[in-house]
Amino acid sequence: MQSIETDVLVIGGGATGTGCARDLAMRGIRCILVEKGDLTHGTTGRYHGLLHSGGRYVTKDPQSATECAHENVILRRIMPHCLEDTSGFFVTTPWDDPDYADLFYTNCQKTQVPVQEISVAEMLRREPVLNPQISRVFEVADGAADAFLATHSTALAAREYGADIRTYHNVIDLVRIGDRVVGAVVEDLRSGEQKEIRCAYILNAAGAWAGKIAGLAGLTVTVVPGKGTMVAMNHRMINTVVNRCKLPDDGDIIVPIRTVAVIGTTDVHVPDPDVYGIDAEEIQFMLDEGEKLIPGFKQYRALRAWAGVRPLYKDVDAVSDRDIPRTYKLLDHAERDGVEGILSIVGGKWTTYRLMAQESVDAIAKRLGNTNPCRTAEEILPVPATEYGGRKPTAAVANGAVGSSAPSAPRPTGLFWLGKPLADVERKHSYGDLICECELVTRERVVAAIEADSAANLDDIRRDVRMGMGPCQGGFCTYRAVALWAEIPSRRANADSLAQSSALLRQWLQERWKGSTPVLWGDQLRQLRLDEIIYYDTLGIDLLEERGENDTAGPGMVTEHPAIATEYHKA
Amino acid sequence: MRDTIIIGAGLAGLMGALALAEAGRKPFVLAKGHGTTHWMGGTIDVWGAPDEAGPRAAVARLATEQPDHPYALLSTAELTAALERFRALVAAAGYPYVGSLDHNVLLPTALGALRPTALMPATMAAGDARLPGPILIAGFHELRDFFPPLAAANLNAQGIAARGVYLDMPPIERKLDFSTVTFARLFEQPAFRVHVGRQLRALRGDATRIGLPAVLGLHNATSVVAELQTLSGAQIFEIPTLPTSVPGMRLFTIFERAITAAGGRFQIGSLVLRAESAGERLTTIYTEAAAREQRHQAADFLLATGGVAGGGVRTDHAGAVRETALGLPLRAPNGREQWFAPRFRAEDGHPIFRAGVGVNANLRPLDAADRVVYHNVTVGGNALAGADAIRERCYAGLALATGWKAGKLLGLV
Repeated sequence: MQSIETDVLVIGGGATGTGCARDLAMRGIRCILVEKGDLTHGTTGRYHGLLHSGGRYVTKDPQSATECAHENVILRRIMPHCLEDTSGFFVTTPWDDPDYADLFYTNCQKTQVPVQEISVAEMLRREPVLNPQISRVFEVADGAADAFLATHSTALAAREYGADIRTYHNVIDLVRIGDRVVGAVVEDLRSGEQKEIRCAYILNAAGAWAGKIAGLAGLTVTVVPGKGTMVAMNHRMINTVVNRCKLPDDGDIIVPIRTVAVIGTTDVHVPDPDVYGIDAEEIQFMLDEGEKLIPGFKQYRALRAWAGVRPLYKDVDAVSDRDIPRTYKLLDHAERDGVEGILSIVGGKWTTYRLMAQESVDAIAKRLGNTNPCRTAEEILPVPATEYGGRKPTAAVANGAVGSSAPSAPRPTGLFWLGKPLADVERKHSYGDLICECELVTRERVVAAIEADSAANLDDIRRDVRMGMGPCQGGFCTYRAVALWAEIPSRRANADSLAQSSALLRQWLQERWKGSTPVLWGDQLRQLRLDEIIYYDTLGIDLLEERGENDTAGPGMVTEHPAIATEYHKA
Repeated sequence: MRDTIIIGAGLAGLMGALALAEAGRKPFVLAKGHGTTHWMGGTIDVWGAPDEAGPRAAVARLATEQPDHPYALLSTAELTAALERFRALVAAAGYPYVGSLDHNVLLPTALGALRPTALMPATMAAGDARLPGPILIAGFHELRDFFPPLAAANLNAQGIAARGVYLDMPPIERKLDFSTVTFARLFEQPAFRVHVGRQLRALRGDATRIGLPAVLGLHNATSVVAELQTLSGAQIFEIPTLPTSVPGMRLFTIFERAITAAGGRFQIGSLVLRAESAGERLTTIYTEAAAREQRHQAADFLLATGGVAGGGVRTDHAGAVRETALGLPLRAPNGREQWFAPRFRAEDGHPIFRAGVGVNANLRPLDAADRVVYHNVTVGGNALAGADAIRERCYAGLALATGWKAGKLLGLV
């Protein structure tokens, strides 16, 4: 077995893990990050995309509220290209306790969450589709976050500083000698090869899976996987994040993100973060709640439903999962369990990922005798090649570049705005190169995503460039992307690439189908029938599989490996 | 007051209108938009399941094996007559179809799969997988709905020698975006054909057949293909692309001209909102218009609005399934949990797509108790319950045959 040596092994390729890798690398600490799927494969890639103002937690979880408010300002500075400044409303509807509004306002002040009350008339002027029966409106600094792009940018920054980030590497064991964890055995899911990674410290940033990882070292970490279901609607019927002004509950928030609006979420305890399903009742409930904020909500077209599992850490008795604090906790297993060499960072939320990384890396740096300060709040993140097409950065893209000491990737020029992808297409005159018309993804961006070594299947490309996330849910772009995939020179020579391209198509169609079925009716069902016309009638996808290929396997491609397949079934 | 209104302008409505025009009626075709002609590849698939006996025999067996299938409403003679009428129509328009009901032909798709079909435009015939000769598949980088290397690679894997190449575009006046229709118009320009033909000759190598995206002209594909054959020195065949379907547009145009010439009329862009009846006769339908509803009255009606894809069957979040134009009772799975199979590629497809109107032997719509709802209405095409025409590969065949019969039956009254 190959053995690799490093200072810190970070486990988990979500926001927190990549944030840790970046922080470690910036401080000059050698690190390897392993993720069993693609980056953002876990909860980071399945959340509603809210940049929290903190308002949601001012009453139940004031520490989280203050952390969110603080980090909100930092993230706007370091990753503007991943954030849209939507602003946010907390609104009191006829179904909400009117007394909570004043308490909310007071608690915002107490927790340093910037807030101002605005008139209902002003709210309706800015968001005319909101329920006119809303009685009070508070404006906060909510925003929309592209968690895929943010994580890829963070990983790119980490790599620029020398971090070694490995996707599709599944931790199958932790090596414990006496009271010390000294490394891990990982399996490269693409090749099946096992490797041993020896390290001074393991940083367990596996989120909802942190309990499973800790268990490999004989440690008990109780993470309550709290399933949250979300529905993406085809219209951005509002341009402002809208929250119900009440204690956090199911279906009480709508986030406009990119071309869609996402309503969320439910909170259902699930026994295993890999085994959960979406119930029809959950969807119905959220549509009903959506009606309260936006009359006629149900008439809009629902595109897709998905669920993520919150990594809630349970160290107190909570009445329900919603009562478990949203704040994070760094578990030092030496103090807690008498086991050296491993720390677990658990709980928390996307908005506070940087702070969680900072605190985790502070603890490790101290032990390693590294006194370099944390600079993750100051340095601006780079823009990945998948955003602009992977060629040498043009002057226009690189404009405004800062911190150009070592990095070669361009730096962002400002906050994301809804018209930006179209402006990019217009600037480059690339109308004829749109592979995904719904999300305005050009050929060069798809090729950049395919060429990125992490793209093992079409879902990885989706996470890189948002291909197939719009109304047609991949109807047109799937064939195009698979064809481009097969045309990449390095793959064309590979005899297996062909069998893979068919398998890629089938796997992707099934994945999109899985996400669509909970919300398939009306125009979206009709859209799916068009997909059947394209893939069955026009292309004959079912006739290719009669050659007896199997759906999985093939070097370099991971589709339905049991370690990363999320098993949906009726909860 | 019109004599007959056909609701829907897909193949079923068009074939029904043709039958009515030939029976001396003045058919009025009223549709929200173009039918699935513009989405489908332009071949006439009659029955696609692998069957040594061929599509005619397979359809004949449905009468006993699947009595609820709409094909069971037709005799073999009726199916044959409808398709013969169709072939005569397109042949007269200079766009002949070849093939037969005795056996399916396998044609390459843009993915390189081999799909079975009974009748195909002559412009596609040289793609027949049984024919000898290596294949060159050629396309354009500018056309995002057709990728030759992938198609060729998949054909090779099935033992058919094929190569995929991209052709250069001539310097073209400012043009940034190319669709299938843009290319179809380019192929109608002699200079563009010469530019393509010369490249094909240079790239041909040992290929005796050349597959191109099905964009070889909107109106004169037969002569475009003939010219490219001369220029390239190889047999040319078209391969259907992603929508919009140029071969489907050709079919629509041929039908439109024939029906109009026979005294029929078209009104596209009008969504039927509701209907009024007197007893067991439908009297009036109303369409959406800018300022007010538009009223249409007729003695007879042919409903050919399609299924879920065509827009004739509509579903909602509460699990309701509705026939959109006339509000007819539907045969549909009960409740959303019954709509879908667990996997997208489930062999028998998804039950919701078999939802449609139940009819009697005379194609009159029935209610849940099998009573005729309207005696002056017939139903054709994918609005009929019981078929999953995409999975069964019978979309066009079913539409033409049932549309023809639905028109004939009204014309007899």
